[in-house]
Amino acid sequence: MSAAGLDVGAERLDAPPRTGRRLQWWHWLVIALAGLFVLSVLEAVTGANDIVSSGAIAAAFGLAVPIALAGLGGLWSERAGVVNIGLEGMMILGTWGAAFAAVHWGAWAGIIGGIVGGLIGGLIHAIATVTFGVDHIVSGVALNIIGLGVAKYLSARFFANLPGGGPTQSPSLPDLPRLTIGGLSDGLKSVEDDNIFFVSQIAAVLRALCTDLSVLTLLAVVLFVATWWVLWRTAFGLRLRSCGESPVAAESLGVNVIRYKFLAVLMSGALAGLGGAFLSLVAAGIYRDGQTGGRGYIGLAAMIFGNWRPGGLLAGSTLFGYTDAIQLRAGTQTVHAFLLFVAVVLVAVGLWQVIRNHRLVQGIGAIIMGALVAVWYFTTDAVAGELTSTMPYVTTLLVLVFASQRLRMPAADGQVYRKGEGH
Amino acid sequence: MRQTMKAAAAISAAALALTACGGSSSDTASGSKSSGGASGAAKVKVGMAYDVGGRGDQSFNDAAAAGLDKAKSELGVETKEASAVNGENEAAREERLQQLVDAGYTHVVAVGFAYAPSVGKVAKANPDAHFAIVDDASDDSKGDNVAQLTFAEQEGSYLVGAAAALKSKTGNVGFVGGVNTPLINKFEAGFVAGAKAANPKIKVQSKYLTQPPDFSGFADPAKGKTAAEGMFQAGADVVYHAAGGSGGGVFDAAKAANKMAIGVDSDQAKTAKEGVRDVIITSMIKKVDVSVYDFIKSGTEGKDLTGNKIYDLKAGGVDYSTTGGKIDDIKSKLDTYKQDIISGKIKVPATVG
Repeated sequence: MSAAGLDVGAERLDAPPRTGRRLQWWHWLVIALAGLFVLSVLEAVTGANDIVSSGAIAAAFGLAVPIALAGLGGLWSERAGVVNIGLEGMMILGTWGAAFAAVHWGAWAGIIGGIVGGLIGGLIHAIATVTFGVDHIVSGVALNIIGLGVAKYLSARFFANLPGGGPTQSPSLPDLPRLTIGGLSDGLKSVEDDNIFFVSQIAAVLRALCTDLSVLTLLAVVLFVATWWVLWRTAFGLRLRSCGESPVAAESLGVNVIRYKFLAVLMSGALAGLGGAFLSLVAAGIYRDGQTGGRGYIGLAAMIFGNWRPGGLLAGSTLFGYTDAIQLRAGTQTVHAFLLFVAVVLVAVGLWQVIRNHRLVQGIGAIIMGALVAVWYFTTDAVAGELTSTMPYVTTLLVLVFASQRLRMPAADGQVYRKGEGH
Repeated sequence: MRQTMKAAAAISAAALALTACGGSSSDTASGSKSSGGASGAAKVKVGMAYDVGGRGDQSFNDAAAAGLDKAKSELGVETKEASAVNGENEAAREERLQQLVDAGYTHVVAVGFAYAPSVGKVAKANPDAHFAIVDDASDDSKGDNVAQLTFAEQEGSYLVGAAAALKSKTGNVGFVGGVNTPLINKFEAGFVAGAKAANPKIKVQSKYLTQPPDFSGFADPAKGKTAAEGMFQAGADVVYHAAGGSGGGVFDAAKAANKMAIGVDSDQAKTAKEGVRDVIITSMIKKVDVSVYDFIKSGTEGKDLTGNKIYDLKAGGVDYSTTGGKIDDIKSKLDTYKQDIISGKIKVPATVG
């Protein structure tokens, strides 16, 4: 009898549960409220009153939705093990498809048009990577270039002769219905205008959520919930994710890996296309060459930020959308006030790292950075205009560098899989 | 570790893709021939290289195209057009100009300051051809066979700035610039100066959508809308834009907020989409068409323009529009400012602050 063997076995069985606690939905709510509280304090301290206004929050959602939809597309694809940096290209195809359909058959058809445009991009990526085993990065980069070129060609071909259109832009597009819950919105406005500490800020957020909301935004929310449910609560989703973790094991258990991957990439294209449709139909009301402006890449980054999970992705895109909104709106003044926020967060994260996690290097690094930002805040009156537009990215980078990261991508993500490889 | 490496690979590839997009050059050249009608004009063949956006952008490039069209119908010159691609590199622009020269075009018009270094180079290499560059007077594009066609945008912007301040009830106006470049700074400087002249206590909010080398600020209506919304919600009631295609978003925001907007480059109360025209109280007009036509005409007369030619208020190169009758009540005041600028009584600054 080998005691050692038993010990080993017992150790395995008793291995402590993962130290990283899984965050429940109410954790997120608490974090969101805490963040809002800090921002309210910031408003009170600095007097920059556009930090949490319903206008700023509404603008943040408007900027976050296309990023979130692109990221959701990335999530589907990468969960099935196919890296998708072609999101930008698919999104561009979506903007054109949506504009074309909306011009000819109305705004609702525009949604379908955007999905079809993205779907075509997804189809190319799926055929290249899944069927023919082309390297995912190569195919994705190619798709970005193809998407750009094709959309340029198509808009010159189909929009140039329409009234109000041109070779680089569509005629103005019909708008999708927007929803406002009348009584609630007005009631919240009066609360927001009363300027009660923290209460007004909550009212501002709620008001942004029930005022002038595009149906496409609602659709995006539904898609997020649906994605979570399908991928994490159904047998279909488990099989799809197993293709991203270990396709060999999945196939040995009878999962048709190729089919699942193909479907996931198609879904990915459709979602990215929908993000493009939001951009041209809702955010801009017009198609223009180059209007995606790299949002597909930001979506990909938001997905990685969110640890390949819908909740995290949503938080990531909101962070991008919010910081972008406030830098675009009030510019230098609000961004300057925001420096104080960044300083406080950095110091808090640093203390947390030192005290709870005993990570001296990261912790002290964060505290020093925080102190430097604070010095910057107190010695200046405004942030130079040249720097304000970098704020979304700097904020994210700082969060990622100094927060403890437990990012884990799907184990077989990015690997080319050929049918029957495991035999 | 492997995961980190892969993530890094993905990100760097994304960066690569961005630059790759920039490198691709797919010229959309549309040739058009017309039989040389007027005498003497047969020798002048005009090649036109547009900025990003090209013909049909309902703004800057279209103004240049209008000048070309006029020259074509009135002077009977032969023309060829080529468009730039968003984010392309220097070599692509040089190549485009050189191709026009090689194809036998004697007069090449480069639309936009982005062409400055390429015009300088190609002009040196082809001393027999004539070049014009719109919106640049730097040393980069200087040459014996180069006409630098520039505008006193600050003077036109001064007038619409004064109009904004006179029309504002809140004493708060806004400026949305597409990309933070010296050219767009001229618009802002003039606008601020004009607004302050009409109302010394005016508050002016300014915002640039992107910073160079990111030129997407000229083609992102969503960002233009967000920026203008912020200004309106912060108390502004008139917003002026110099943001090319992003300006559509500014008009949308003005319409939604039931406030006023000011257009740029062409009379946008005529060219913007129908639904928003009524919020555009005036536009700062920049007569790019006149400058292009002048250049071509001088060529057909054998007196080719060279050096820097400034189209200012005095020369009728910039102006404000009155379409819609929204500023009829303050027109006399604006015309006083106009006369003062022309006579030199008012000096409009070309840089901010």
